[in-house]
Amino acid sequence: MDVIEHPPIFRLPGIPDHVTYTWVVMIVLTLVAFLASRNLQLVPRGTQNFMEVVIEQIQQLIDDVMGHEGRRYLPLIATLGLFILTANLESLIPGFAGPTANLNTTAACALVVFFAYHYIGIRKQGALTYLKHFTGPVPLALKPLMFVIEIISHLARPLSLTLRLFGNMVGGHILLAIIFFLMGLHGLIGWALSGSVPGAIVGGLGGLVMIVFTVGFLYPLKILVSLLQAFIFVMLTMLYISGAIEEADHGHGSDHGHGSGHH
Amino acid sequence: MRRSLILAAMAVLAGPGLAFGQTAGAADPRGWLGPFAVLVAGFAMAFAAGLCGLGQGRAVAAAVDAMARQPGAAARIQTAMIIGLALIESLAIYVLVVAMILLFVQPIR
Repeated sequence: MDVIEHPPIFRLPGIPDHVTYTWVVMIVLTLVAFLASRNLQLVPRGTQNFMEVVIEQIQQLIDDVMGHEGRRYLPLIATLGLFILTANLESLIPGFAGPTANLNTTAACALVVFFAYHYIGIRKQGALTYLKHFTGPVPLALKPLMFVIEIISHLARPLSLTLRLFGNMVGGHILLAIIFFLMGLHGLIGWALSGSVPGAIVGGLGGLVMIVFTVGFLYPLKILVSLLQAFIFVMLTMLYISGAIEEADHGHGSDHGHGSGHH
Repeated sequence: MRRSLILAAMAVLAGPGLAFGQTAGAADPRGWLGPFAVLVAGFAMAFAAGLCGLGQGRAVAAAVDAMARQPGAAARIQTAMIIGLALIESLAIYVLVVAMILLFVQPIR
């Protein structure tokens, strides 16, 4: 991908780009949090107001999906969401690299989610009860089969979380790079500047159309995808955590009722 | 008829691979699989995008239908639709990742 994409303008020697720009995200988030909480007031203004709205929105989402139980996991969910959203939007700034366009960053986030929801489930229900729920409400003879299938499906979760975020971001970057750099700067605008008259006319018009298309359509699309991917990552995290918590009730219900309890 | 068409398609597909293999020789680090990898990556992405579009279209159609019948539940339906779309889309994203592995990494030569 280095063939078609411009390397970022700011690089530290010996340190990979995605690590450098993860630090940029960390600095930005820390600065915003510091500015928001430096001078707390009862009637919020400015940065504090903005961050309160953001956190309240995330809390509202948690209440809708997980119920009031889920408010305990607000720090984990909000941190993941803000980090991924900032990293996604950072990759849209020209000359910056996106941390989420690298498999290492997205795999780190997905592994944090994977271990966190298992830890939450085990701490909530105890290890044995939690393991029992992997078998599901099936007859005893089918339980080993269900157990294996469930283990595989749980192992596929971090993989799909990783690849979804990574693939969406990298796919968008390749699209932008090909349309803007390969087709635009190298192709059409290079043709316009080559000196020939038809090249100047066709290449100039094509270059103009390309710039309008990129700025007017592809960039807003990438912003939408950034927001949507951060939302989906957070949403799936909440679903996994609520699945790890709620399986207790479901399991007990089917244990007592046996057939009448579940539907 | 159909078999001959398939054979012709296979011959056309195999052409660049064999030609590149003969001209490039041992000096090419990409080996004779390189052109095939490019072809396969492109076709895989085309099939995946088309079928993923079909699946997402069905999902969105059902969701919009449900939202038109029950405007009160539109927000919940929309959330469920977005999650479902993400899960469908991740299948196409898997193919994109495989295509990029074929294009840029090329583990088998």
